[in-house]
Amino acid sequence: MAHYNFKKITVVPSAKDFIDLKLSKTQRKTPAVIHQHYQIHHIGHFYMRKVKFTQQNYHDRLSQILTDFPKLDDIHPFYWTMLLKITRATPSTARQKQSLAYLEQVCQHLSHLPTTDPNTRTPLLCGYPNVGKSSFINKVTRADVDVRSYYLRWQAVDAPGILDHPLEYRNTIVMQAITALAHLRAAVPYVMDLSEQCGHGLREQLELFQNIRPLFINKPLIVVANKCDVKRIAELSEDDQKIFTDLQAEGFPVIKTSTLTEEGVIKVKTKACDRLLAHQVETKMKGNKVNEALNRLHLAVPTRRDDKERPPLIPEGVVTRRKRMEMEEPKKKRERDLELEMEDDYILDLQKYWDLMNSSEKHDKIPEIWEGHNIADYIDPAVMKKLEELEKGEELRTAAREYDSDSETVLENESCSLGVDMDNKGDAHYSVQEKKGEDSAPHSSVAWSRSCPQTPRDVSGLWDVKMVKKAKIMMKNAQKKMNRLGKKGEADRHVFDMKPKHLLSGKRKAGKKDRR
Amino acid sequence: MRIEKCYFCSGPIYPGHGMMFIRNDCKVFRFCKSKCHKNFKKKPNPRKVRWTKAFRKAAGKELTVDNSFEFVTRRNEPIKYQRELWNKTIDAMKRVEEIKQKRQAEFIMNRLKKIKSYIKFRISKKSSKTSMLSEPLLQAKGSIWNRKWYSRCKRMWIWKTNQ
Repeated sequence: MAHYNFKKITVVPSAKDFIDLKLSKTQRKTPAVIHQHYQIHHIGHFYMRKVKFTQQNYHDRLSQILTDFPKLDDIHPFYWTMLLKITRATPSTARQKQSLAYLEQVCQHLSHLPTTDPNTRTPLLCGYPNVGKSSFINKVTRADVDVRSYYLRWQAVDAPGILDHPLEYRNTIVMQAITALAHLRAAVPYVMDLSEQCGHGLREQLELFQNIRPLFINKPLIVVANKCDVKRIAELSEDDQKIFTDLQAEGFPVIKTSTLTEEGVIKVKTKACDRLLAHQVETKMKGNKVNEALNRLHLAVPTRRDDKERPPLIPEGVVTRRKRMEMEEPKKKRERDLELEMEDDYILDLQKYWDLMNSSEKHDKIPEIWEGHNIADYIDPAVMKKLEELEKGEELRTAAREYDSDSETVLENESCSLGVDMDNKGDAHYSVQEKKGEDSAPHSSVAWSRSCPQTPRDVSGLWDVKMVKKAKIMMKNAQKKMNRLGKKGEADRHVFDMKPKHLLSGKRKAGKKDRR
Repeated sequence: MRIEKCYFCSGPIYPGHGMMFIRNDCKVFRFCKSKCHKNFKKKPNPRKVRWTKAFRKAAGKELTVDNSFEFVTRRNEPIKYQRELWNKTIDAMKRVEEIKQKRQAEFIMNRLKKIKSYIKFRISKKSSKTSMLSEPLLQAKGSIWNRKWYSRCKRMWIWKTNQ
């Protein structure tokens, strides 16, 4: 169903303005200048064009206004009654003026109407001013964006406070509310203030209720007892309580709400929506169209294949969760709760959640590194088997090594044959492995062994007397220059006199520059 | 926590040391010290740079193929912690390391022995050529050779124990 948006109706200008507008437009859009020497039919043409243009414009504008303005027959009786009210509201003098001006006024009034869709289902809140309707709406709309997400949206309409005046004296806004009540398809929660904070006593509110009741005949009604946090029904006097029981007896459900504590707010919403839906279904069923529909419908039911029971599959988790929700079990204790309990003593111990084969080992400190090796690289369920094989292999090898000549004895024999004095065997280098803990501390550094080599440098690498002599001569030769120049060594590049005076002073003749 | 291997020298990189370089093809290079890093940037192949372990293995100066090396493998699926298994593994590891080191030392000794015998051969060759050599010098030479060899052995041993 179309959503009326009266604000989009084109503005209707007054008659005088209308004419002015059109003429200026013509002036702008059509050629303005004629020359004297034009032929007569050309001039005629020119003026006809202007006339035609004006005519066209008028026609367009008026038709637009007409189409935009809603036809009384087409629109919902809701708006129709509104319009009637408006016409009654506008003073009669306005009607006698030119019709355009009247139309304009009507349009303005229409645009002020709220954009409500009369055909969606609405819970329409009614009640005295200050009763808590607006706060109710706030609560509901914050909880659900659409009041009930059915395929058609619902909308909640807030009726500004209805004062209890006789019908004729009620002002236009109130009239609007009342007309709305009459024509919308709505469920009506009537909001009452139990604590009488709104300024009207319970009796007054009830009177209003009875007054408005004839409007509610076809609509499902709920009595909402608001502000129950301040005062409960049970705390009321007996008479008052009786009223509520009467109401309930008549078939209007009474629900206690408090917009502060949010009790019962959702209940009201769901109840109103449910009742309205049921109501609508009922009316449809009673109507004529239903039979037509029914004739065309046929419900096909598949025949049973066998006697096997095929119940719907509900996973276990869902069942347990539902049970839990019903019973409202206390939640599992969380880490955060534990942390708050223990405060300073709390240590985050994630190892307790580990899933190991033996749960007693959960809190072990696991070693990762040993002597420069990663333990994780060695872990293998078949470690022991491998080790056994290795050991076997090692045994074989050691046995083989024993048959081989011992490397140390070989050493000793060979060195004896070469003439080395083998008496001081205790100090021998090749037996370092036995001496490991004793005096080997200075000897075990590589740096020490490099600084005192066993062969003297002047004969290392030389195997001839001639070579030795030559090496000596070379050495002396290299040192001659250094010694002559008074250098400390081959790396001494010290200059004693950077700027000798005899070279840098005086005239440049006689070749002074040659010696610089 | 893991001890990584340096890409260049194959030494251990303890946590908190060294640098990591990631190339555009997502290959990761770890270096234990700036020496390795700088050498890497100069582009030579570590297998040709004499002081690296990669060179030594490639040149056959160290034991490369052995049962004891198969205990260390990178496993893709981590095994859940079991105290028993961990204890056993650690004991096994210690024993394996012992055996490994023994075998490596043996390999080097064998190699040096071979070298020694070759050197000896060379000496004998040389001595056959030069007959002018005096006895004491020959003795000295012999002792020098031996001393050299001993010194080499000792240096080798020291280096090995430091590894």
